[in-house]
Amino acid sequence: MLSQLLASAADGIVLAAIIAVAAMGFTLQFGLTNVLNLSFGSVMTIGGFTAYLANVAGLSAWLGMLLGGVAGGLATIALGRGVLRLYARRRTQLFEMMMVTLGLSLVIDYGLQSISQNAIYGYTVLQASPVRLGPIVLTPIQLFIVLLAIVILVVVEAALKFTKLGKALRATAVEPSLARSCGIQTGRVVLITWTISGFLCGLAGVVYIISTQSVDYSTGELFLPLIIAAAILGGVGSLRGAVVAAVVMGIVTEVVAGFGGAAYSTVAGFAILVVVLLLRPGSVSGGAEDRQLVL
Amino acid sequence: MSVWVFYISTLVIYFGVDLLAGIALNLQFGYAGVVNFGFIVFQAAGAYMAAVVVLGPSGGVASFQQYIFGSRLPFPLDLVAAAVAGAVVSLVIGLFSLRRMRRDYQAAVLLIVSLIALQVVSADVPLFNGSNGLTGVTWPLGQIVGVTATGAPVIYAAWTLAIAAIVFAAVYWLSKSPWGRSLRAMRDHEDAASAMGLNITSLRLQVFVIGGAIAGLSGGLLVEYIGAWSPGAWGYAETFVIFTAIFVGGVGNYRGVIVGVLLVPVIFLELPRFLPAVGYPGLIDSLQWVTIGLAWMLCLLFRPRGILPEKRMEVTKPAGVPGPAVVPSEGGA
Amino acid sequence: MTTRKLTMLGALAALSALVAACGSTTTSSSKGPLVVGGVIAITGTSSFEGSNQSEGLLPAIYEINHNGGVMGHQLAYKGVDTRGDPADALPAVQQMLATTSNLVAVAGPGTASAPTIVPVLNSAHIPMMAVAGESAYNRSPYKYFWRLFPPDSANGTAMALWAKQKGYTRVAAVFGSDAGSQGDLPGVLASLQALHVNVVANISLTPDQSSYQSSVNQLIAAHPDVIMTESDAGTAGTFFGELKSLAGLVPIIGTEATYTTPWLTAVQGALGASDFHKYFTAMITAPSKVTQAVTAWNNAVKEDHSQLPVSISSAQNNPFAVTYYDGMIATALAMVAAKSTNPVVFNSYIAKVCNPGSGKTVVYTYAQGVKALNAGKQIQYFGATGLINFDKYHNSYGNQEAVTSSASGNTVSLGQVTVAAIEAVPVKGVA
Repeated sequence: MLSQLLASAADGIVLAAIIAVAAMGFTLQFGLTNVLNLSFGSVMTIGGFTAYLANVAGLSAWLGMLLGGVAGGLATIALGRGVLRLYARRRTQLFEMMMVTLGLSLVIDYGLQSISQNAIYGYTVLQASPVRLGPIVLTPIQLFIVLLAIVILVVVEAALKFTKLGKALRATAVEPSLARSCGIQTGRVVLITWTISGFLCGLAGVVYIISTQSVDYSTGELFLPLIIAAAILGGVGSLRGAVVAAVVMGIVTEVVAGFGGAAYSTVAGFAILVVVLLLRPGSVSGGAEDRQLVL
Repeated sequence: MSVWVFYISTLVIYFGVDLLAGIALNLQFGYAGVVNFGFIVFQAAGAYMAAVVVLGPSGGVASFQQYIFGSRLPFPLDLVAAAVAGAVVSLVIGLFSLRRMRRDYQAAVLLIVSLIALQVVSADVPLFNGSNGLTGVTWPLGQIVGVTATGAPVIYAAWTLAIAAIVFAAVYWLSKSPWGRSLRAMRDHEDAASAMGLNITSLRLQVFVIGGAIAGLSGGLLVEYIGAWSPGAWGYAETFVIFTAIFVGGVGNYRGVIVGVLLVPVIFLELPRFLPAVGYPGLIDSLQWVTIGLAWMLCLLFRPRGILPEKRMEVTKPAGVPGPAVVPSEGGA
Repeated sequence: MTTRKLTMLGALAALSALVAACGSTTTSSSKGPLVVGGVIAITGTSSFEGSNQSEGLLPAIYEINHNGGVMGHQLAYKGVDTRGDPADALPAVQQMLATTSNLVAVAGPGTASAPTIVPVLNSAHIPMMAVAGESAYNRSPYKYFWRLFPPDSANGTAMALWAKQKGYTRVAAVFGSDAGSQGDLPGVLASLQALHVNVVANISLTPDQSSYQSSVNQLIAAHPDVIMTESDAGTAGTFFGELKSLAGLVPIIGTEATYTTPWLTAVQGALGASDFHKYFTAMITAPSKVTQAVTAWNNAVKEDHSQLPVSISSAQNNPFAVTYYDGMIATALAMVAAKSTNPVVFNSYIAKVCNPGSGKTVVYTYAQGVKALNAGKQIQYFGATGLINFDKYHNSYGNQEAVTSSASGNTVSLGQVTVAAIEAVPVKGVA
């Protein structure tokens, strides 16, 4: 019983790490721009496919991971600067912007589907024999993913807190017009945020396909609701919040699965969001009013 | 009877069903201000309910399909049950999703509700036979007159259009009534409406539940025609087709809803079937979704209020009254 | 309404009319080739059904067209996507019926849309080579319904018999929660129960999760000595990959649906070729011993390979593909035998050109069949799947065979389960 609980909790932490890498990227851009970016999952898929192609080309899996992140960053900049800004200039409002990103995700996902001929591509890299710690059994790559999530959390949090850029970013997120009048170049801040969050997004795509060992056009789309749930649950813009939410969701999902409710495990993970919304609506509702769009 | 008649009748039936869905979504979105990304769940609730009250008592585990609420209700109780199911589900969902929160959060939460519902119904076989779904649903009204739904699609099409027209007229009349005016007041100036003594929360829930009932009815009409219903029929993407329709047509405008429902499913879902096959099988279908995405984006760029925008009843706003502003970032743009 | 809006509406209407007009002129001309409709899920979660179909149907059409066609008419394939959803399938099929005046046969429908589509095609008098596994069709009242595939329950019974024969006593059922996989589960469970084999775990996998580690733990805790499985390819790859890296493998018996390219590729990729070969068995319709029909099938795949997205050998070994091939060749021979491309006339000839009978000339290929028919003989088409013998409900299925896939993608036989043995098992609860 206890050993089953421990084993499930460990599995939950691995799942949480995968969610957390993506959710940190998501919450970073959401917190600053206020765009609920539904094309985030599609960019994850782009990162995954990039790593797959790098692997086919004979590059190492680590390099593939890096390239996946870079592809995610480039794609996010292209979409943010090229497409979303176009709408911002036409005074598209917050909610309509979400619809724009939804259209964008359809275009990317099904574009990828037509290019990939709707096939599933196997991606088996970095698999090694597992490490045992009592009832807990984990593979080295799973440990690496957990470590990666922790490193990202610490590094980005520190950067937000201590660097000049981090301060500018936080200031812009809270009050963009005031930040600008204080001499902060908000355009540059947004660009840098797109880059970092896009990199994390692409990286999350690679981490995800290492775990599932395959990639297809719908890879990121299927994972997106978990990411959004973690970001909203954790309080938008808060990296720590996103990570804590991811850990709670991950552990609940795997414990429910471990105790026989595999069919309901994902539902249980999502249900947390609904339960929190019912009991403490104020903690996650982010204020009733729409925020300003910052692009 | 010519095969063309069958095909066109089916399109007319789908038009009627989509029109009901469009009216319902327009009520929830245009008046209650709820971005209901879980809309298809209400339609599914109606469809399942209509199916189980037509199929008769479930044979349980031993038969090839199992379900709850199995019974054999006479016409018109089958469709009433469908509408009630839609209303009850929307009441439950409305109770927590209508809280005051950011609209985009609300949309995300409802999308997640839609995913949860789909997974529960797929995984829990005793509910509605899991992924395999329910089959063998018949048309109670047709049995009275001695026809089957797919055997007499013209009659069924007329029946669907009649219901859609009645509902359309009723909703139109409601929106012109004092109740409808208070809805518009709530939507356009929530604080002022609240100050005038309108109970915003209750009003919003009323609209939401009426929309849910219409959605449930549309599901019942659909399932009695096609005879089968399964999780494959209500993926969350189906919601977006109806959303696209009212977006293209014009939010808050009833004529716009008709135009949108006529244009979007017909142009994007039916016309591609007439294209000659190119590439590998499935290429056309992928490109079809790419086109829907592009249409959606272009629409938001050039005609964000739809082809037929809602006529504003109020006096023109004085110039310079800002909406929620976009903060342009410096450095070119 | 302002003029501008009216203009815009008018333009849209004109545009749609134009597209519709272009579309219908290109597809509904009656002088074109005879059309075979592929009514199947081409996109969506069941899209593997579509690739199974094109891997078998396209080579058959190629072979027929390269042997003079059907009485001078060429055949053409037209995919009709059901997306695995009856609500999408119905208008798609009616559109096909309305616009395709030279439609002679349909391949499909699949399990999900069959209850809605079979009656529609039957009343339109279009013969269908169905892939619907429901046992309800074991006694089908539909005259135009033909099924060369075994019902799902037969496949499940064969798996249970094989497990019993191999001495397995603790079975874990690991099935995806998607419609295709769930459709095959009841037959497996009911057969195991009928044979008194212990089911120690019944695990349902929600498709497309990032990890199935908890399900793996649950499986290990039950200590099974064999796994019976079906799920979509991606899910299977993740699950068995994790099973291997976390706990080590136990023997796996897959349904017929697992013996298809995406599934084999995904799981072989996750397990490695040698482990895969060692642990994996699939229960499929017994491949025929090598006859001229098998040679013809292999050649047709090889020559027509440009249209297929998969490797030659995986298409050749796909049990679904070869069944479609036989169905198409038999239908074409029925047209030649009836001297008519009108389905109302040739439908009943489908059984006549396949079933064995005294004085019939046995033929193995389309060309042989046409030659014998033109010489005024009665024929029996002995297919690439082996003997075809339709019962009065238009069902024909043969023995089941346990197979595995070698590293080079070839099918290696491990033993047979006969129809007689399957029918002797008193399976309950599967209607």
